[in-house]
Amino acid sequence: MSHPSEQISAYLDGELHGQELAGLLEHLSGCGKCSAELEEFHQVRAAVRSLPVLELPENIVSEADRVVVPLRRNRGVWVGAAAAVVALVIAVAAMVTPPPTAVSVDDLSSRFGARVSLDPAFSPAKVVVPELNLVGE
Amino acid sequence: MVESVPLTWEEVARVYGRKIYNFAYRLTGNPDDAHDLVQEVLLRVRKGLANYQPGSFEGWLWRITRNAFLDDLRKRKRRPTSPLPDEVDRWDLASTESADAAYARVSLGDDIQKALLEVPFEFREAVVLCDIVGLSYEEIANAVAVPIGTVRSRIHRGRKILKEILG
Repeated sequence: MSHPSEQISAYLDGELHGQELAGLLEHLSGCGKCSAELEEFHQVRAAVRSLPVLELPENIVSEADRVVVPLRRNRGVWVGAAAAVVALVIAVAAMVTPPPTAVSVDDLSSRFGARVSLDPAFSPAKVVVPELNLVGE
Repeated sequence: MVESVPLTWEEVARVYGRKIYNFAYRLTGNPDDAHDLVQEVLLRVRKGLANYQPGSFEGWLWRITRNAFLDDLRKRKRRPTSPLPDEVDRWDLASTESADAAYARVSLGDDIQKALLEVPFEFREAVVLCDIVGLSYEEIANAVAVPIGTVRSRIHRGRKILKEILG
């Protein structure tokens, strides 16, 4: 006769259903060994469940929060570092890029002249350049 | 089943902190380790909430808790420490209750706690998740990533070992 020992724990936990449950109950009604085991498992389960429920120490959450705070600061440090790198790149680019030169009328006419030689339909008279700082006017 | 998700890690701490602490305490047998584990879980929850996909929140939370515990166990194996003193000596005297009250409360289940610690980890874990945390077999299977049949078997074997120790 096989004894469904493993099913006894599941039965105690309400995890046995349908035919398994019916089969175990039928077996228990005629098996003193398994009935005794059911009682023993019931006591063990009750003993574990009788362990006092411990309250969460109050300092755990506040300490976890203090550990979290540096993470926020670290993120701020990284953002600051990234901004510094970007600023440095802009500064270096500004140093190596030659300053804009003033445009003279002669320069414009020579540039437009070159354009005219490539595009006969182009007319320098139609070009309006209001923002340019023209020297030599 | 889709469950509502706590919005912040502080809410997770408020709703689940005590359960995680009791799981950790019964699994490790001492308050300092339980304390450290809860903090580690809360940090992992805070980091992980942003990427949390709606689903079984408790399954997700207990997987994090279990992984944090196992990671700590692996660290200890790599870096062995001196044996832990008696748990009552290690009770956190800075906590809100008196040392006497703490001693009385811990001693109440002292034999059962000692017996639990003698049960191999995978059986102890299943028993604690079932009888201390109150998870169903399906929830335990989800948290531990094993079939329900394995959960049933582990709980049974855990209780059988406890019965022999306590009997």
